Amino acid sequence: MRRSALDQRWAGYVVAALSVGALTLLLKTVGAHVNAATVSLALLLNVLFIATRWGSLPALAASIFAMLCFNFFFLPPFGTFTIAATDNWIALLAFLITAVTAGQLSGSAKRRAEEAEAGRREIERLYAELRDAFERASHAEALRQSEKLKSALLDAVTHDLRTPLTSIKASITTLLDEVRGRVEEESPVALDAESRVEMMEVIDEESDRLSRFINGLIELARIEAGELKLRRRWGAVDEIISAALMRAEPITRGHRVELDVEKELPGVRVDERAVSEVVYTLIDNAAKYSAKGSVIRISARRAGDELIQMAVEDEGPGIPANLRERVFDKFFRATRDGDVRNHQPTGTGMGLAIAKGIVEAHDGTISIEAGRGGKGTRVVFTLPTGDDEVLDEMQHPAATVETR
Amino acid sequence: MTDQPRILVVDDEPQLTRVLRTGLKSRGYDVRAAADGLAGFEAFNDWHPDLVITDLAMPNVDGLELCRRLRAVSQVPIIVLSAKGEEKTKVEALDLGADDFVTKPFGIDELLARVRASLRRAKAPQMNEATSTILDSGDFHVDLESREITVRGKPIHLTPKEFDLLVYFIKHSGKVLTHRTLLAALWGGNYVEQNEYLRVFVGNLRKKIEPDAASPRYILTEPWIGYRFHEKAPEI
Repeated sequence: MRRSALDQRWAGYVVAALSVGALTLLLKTVGAHVNAATVSLALLLNVLFIATRWGSLPALAASIFAMLCFNFFFLPPFGTFTIAATDNWIALLAFLITAVTAGQLSGSAKRRAEEAEAGRREIERLYAELRDAFERASHAEALRQSEKLKSALLDAVTHDLRTPLTSIKASITTLLDEVRGRVEEESPVALDAESRVEMMEVIDEESDRLSRFINGLIELARIEAGELKLRRRWGAVDEIISAALMRAEPITRGHRVELDVEKELPGVRVDERAVSEVVYTLIDNAAKYSAKGSVIRISARRAGDELIQMAVEDEGPGIPANLRERVFDKFFRATRDGDVRNHQPTGTGMGLAIAKGIVEAHDGTISIEAGRGGKGTRVVFTLPTGDDEVLDEMQHPAATVETR
Repeated sequence: MTDQPRILVVDDEPQLTRVLRTGLKSRGYDVRAAADGLAGFEAFNDWHPDLVITDLAMPNVDGLELCRRLRAVSQVPIIVLSAKGEEKTKVEALDLGADDFVTKPFGIDELLARVRASLRRAKAPQMNEATSTILDSGDFHVDLESREITVRGKPIHLTPKEFDLLVYFIKHSGKVLTHRTLLAALWGGNYVEQNEYLRVFVGNLRKKIEPDAASPRYILTEPWIGYRFHEKAPEI
């Protein structure tokens, strides 16, 4: 840095000497036609140039050199340094004053520019520091939030693991006691065949429940890590629905299922299995949370040019408006956490969270509204038809909302 | 039929009530189940069970509220089912008058043992409640009038507070007694947070009554909750 500043200064002197010399030579060769005023003006410009570019010291040197050249070559008597006329002294003085003043001016301008630059850099540095501090603070806040969330999730998960485990443990110890033929103080163990089967059924069902829960956890973790791999291909909506219905047949036996699928729906470019999973989840919920014998309505229709809207509706107790967003939160259960009365076994609290993840991965939206006549629950989701690359841009600002 | 003890199971988890109903019935208990505190309280009122087993976390009226409502009208033994992580609620339930707890997941034996102990206890006071000034219980013989106590036939000397504490333990033998319950019963409401008082008195009492104070057999510690007294040292 210092070295280059030094170079700069020397460059100033060199340029000053060379330019004045060259100019003098040029003016001299052009000849005697040039009068003294023109010459002095030209040299003055040269000095000014040096002053603005390299500051006052090189400019001063340039002005002295220029004055000497001017005096020697252009002022009578030529070839000497003596000055005859008074106005020539004045010209010489003007030379010097111009050089010094211009040098000072340019120097101070330069300094001010430098000061401004330093100020700007300081502000930038402070800004960066502030931004870092903010980032650190918000990072810590986010960490705290995520820790809080983590422990809440852990509570939910342990509860959901422990509940089936409790039933399994209680069943198996009941069976074990009998097998071991233990006779208690007052009450001998009397387990009839029916009870025995019941205990084993509970173990079987609760093991399935644990397994479902764990599968759900894995699925959810995949969605949250953005690792949901969609295998998109052209599919037909009615096929997707009938696949889900077929799977849901055992759970919908007690209900009346009504199907309302618009004719000649366009194809959808989706992961059929994933979307079928969504439909299945919604049917499963509808069957679980509505009375036997009531109607489950499944519908699909066009909504505008690029959307297919699908819905599953039940005639159950419905979900209060204030919980309709929250039921998509993982582990949230309206029946347990939202005081919605229902004595059916509750689900894993992950079905809707997973459904939402799948729908949003397809750039669709999912939401809950009241069913017909303000009763029951209607879950509606949309899927874009056709090429999503085009659709993404123009169709679905809502689909970009983060899943949390 | 009528001599079968009646047990009301209150839990929002249908699979668990299914298991408990079958498991308890196989031991000769008459069982009914309710899915929440509200239904549980209704069932209690028209069935009058001998014992209530209740979960803590339930929709509508939860286990705590059920304990509160039951205690307002009855001294029926209550066993709460709690999970790890629900310690605070568990202690609250015990403070509200629940008799015992079982931590999920539990084996049926453990629950049955608690059920038997609670039922036994519920029956006992009716015989003891006579005007008798003699308390004869397991290894302990107490004359409430002369304030004399013998343990395993040997007389021991207690300070008045130690005497009161031991009598309270004997009267609530087998039941989990929270720190708060003991402090309130012996020192009054202003001292319910002074766990260290209790620790000192229990320590002294153990030195006097336990064969080995380092591994107590009469006054057992229930970690973070309180104490449980056994009038007879279990066989080792």
